[in-house]
Formats: sequence, structure tokens, C-alpha cells
Amino acid sequence: MEEILNIILKNTYSLSQLKHRLRILKSNLLKTFFGGENQTLNSTTQDLNWLESLPENFYRKFTKDNIYQIFADLEKKISNLPTLAMYLTFEPNDTTLYQVGSVARKTFNYPSLILDIKLDPNLIAGAALVWKGVYKDYSLRAKVENRKAEIIEGFKKYLK
Amino acid sequence: MSDLLQNPISLILAIITAITFLLYLREYNKRRNLESEGDKFLQDIKKKGWENLHQSIKKSQEILGEAELEGIKVIAGSEVELSKLENEYSKKLSQSLETSRRNIDAAQNKLMQFMADLQKKSAEFEEASKVSGQQRINQLFDKVENKLSDFLVQTAQKTSSSIELELKASRQLIDTYKNGQLKLIDENIITMMEQTLSLVLGKKMSLNDQLDLVYEALEKAKIEKFIA
Repeated sequence: MEEILNIILKNTYSLSQLKHRLRILKSNLLKTFFGGENQTLNSTTQDLNWLESLPENFYRKFTKDNIYQIFADLEKKISNLPTLAMYLTFEPNDTTLYQVGSVARKTFNYPSLILDIKLDPNLIAGAALVWKGVYKDYSLRAKVENRKAEIIEGFKKYLK
Repeated sequence: MSDLLQNPISLILAIITAITFLLYLREYNKRRNLESEGDKFLQDIKKKGWENLHQSIKKSQEILGEAELEGIKVIAGSEVELSKLENEYSKKLSQSLETSRRNIDAAQNKLMQFMADLQKKSAEFEEASKVSGQQRINQLFDKVENKLSDFLVQTAQKTSSSIELELKASRQLIDTYKNGQLKLIDENIITMMEQTLSLVLGKKMSLNDQLDLVYEALEKAKIEKFIA
């Protein structure tokens, strides 16, 4: 179980991406084991690329008998994964998410770290983080707030 | 008789009757003697009682006579004493009246003198009171004048300090308001700046620059040990 999850997490960085990929994988496997058109999802090229990128021995772990059990266990595992909520001013695409996610894992030395990406345009630029319920703003807005006095002073000098 | 001798019961009855008759006679004689002795004793007592009564009346009359005599004597003596007392009384009364009249005259003179003195003193007192009253009024006016002057000075000072306090409070209020407004302006400046930055940078900032800032944020979080 741990091995399956680690393989999936290897190049999956956000919570929504993880859930999406699990649904695609499950759909694909169900189609493989049980056939039928109704059980497939509309997969993008990126999704298909990701499915193809998974190793052969990964698929061998799934059988008709354990597939439902494995996915049920995976969903339980996901709910217990360490999640870092990240507020950004833009919506990252897969490439950007890969960049941000890999840097985050490397920076905090947390290989299974999952990002929960949220949008907040008021941050101006940069990011704000939430870890275990604690919010911390590292954005440009926070920097402006911290240097408010200096900015006001400079503004006043400019006005004079 | 022969019958009586022949019947013994009749004989006995005749003897008892004779004896009873003799006893009756004897008792009758005794009672008559006793009654005559009692009458005699009563007569003696009566006689002695009358004698005693006569003697008592006689003695009473003697006593009454003596008493009347003594009364007459006493009355006669009393009248003499009374006239003597009347004379002495009238004499002493006239002396007392004379003394009283003299005393009354003296008292009247003294009273007149006292009244004259009193009138004089009253006039003097009235004059002194007038002078004293005038002085007191003058003093009172002086005091009132001084107090009024002090009061006016104090009032002026209090008014001045009150105005200063009011001015100070007003200045503080203005300063507070001014600071509040300036703070509000500062906040507005910051908000405007943030909005401007957000608008400008949102359009102008490249993705790489955005990512650089995100990496910077992650690095800072690492330094601060945000994720322990």
C-alpha cells in the first residue's frame, strides 16, 4: 500500500491533482479488469502521459479482487497525508505545480508533502501558507504591511 | 271509817294526800317569805338610788355655778387684755405704717434717680451703638469689598484655567482626530498602493518572477521553521 502511494506521489504535488489522478487510475484499472465504456473518464493527454509513466510492476499490484480494497485504503491514507495549504495569486498549471511542489518538498525535506493550492489575489504576489491550522503570510502584501511606516514616510516626502 | 280501815289502799292514798298537802303548805310559806325579803331589798336599793341621784344633782349644780363664775371671771379678764392688745396693735401698726411710708418715699426717690441714670446711660449707649454700628458697617463694607475683589480675581483665574483646560482638551481632541484621520489616510494610501500593485503586478509580473517570490516565501518559512 505504501509503495503504491509513494509511486503515485512521486510526481503528484497537489491534493486536487492526487484525487484527480486516483480517479483516472481507478477508472482505467476498472476498464482494464471489467471492461465497459461507462467506467472511463475523459482523460487529457497529460493524464494519459501520467498513466503511461507509471511502472509495469505498479499495475501488477492490482487484481480484480483487491482493486476496490486498495482504493478504499488509498483514500483513507490520503486523508492522513501531511498537507500544506498554499495561497497563491495565480492558478498554477501542471508544470508550475511540479516546480512549486518539488521545491517545497526539497525545501522542507518532506518527500510525501502534498500542497492544497488555493487562490487569493489580494496577496499581490508570493504565497501565504497554512500548516496544521496556523496561517502565515509570506506574500508581497505582508511585506508592504511590514514596511508600511517606511512607505508612508517616503510617500509623504514625495508629497512635500 | 270502818270502810277505810277495812280497805288498806284507800288508807294509804289518804295518808299520801295528807303528806302532799302538808308539803304544799310548807313550800307556799317559804315562797311568801322569799318574796317579802326581795321586796324589802328592792326598796332599799331604790331608796339608795334616789339619794345618790339627789347628791349628784346637787354636786352638778355646784359645779355649774363655779363654772359660770369662772367664765365670768375669764371674760372680764379677756376684755381687759383685748383692749390692751388693741392699743398696742394700733400703736405698732401706726409705727409700721410710718416706717413703710418712709421706705416707700426712699424707694421712690431711688427709683427716680435710677430712671434718670438709666435714661442717661441709654442715651450714651445709643450714641455708642450708633458709632459702633457705623464702624461695623464700614468694616463690613471693607470686608465685602475685599472678598468681592478676591472672588473676582479667583473667578478670573478659574475661568482662565478652565478655558486653558478646555483649549487643551480641544487641542487633544483635534490631535486625536487629526491622528485618526492621518492614520486613516495612511491606511488608504497603503490599500491604494496594494490595489495598484496587485493590478499592475498581476498583469506585468512574469510567471518566473511570481515563482521566485513563491520560492522566497518557502525559503523564509523554512528559516522560520514554520513546518517543524
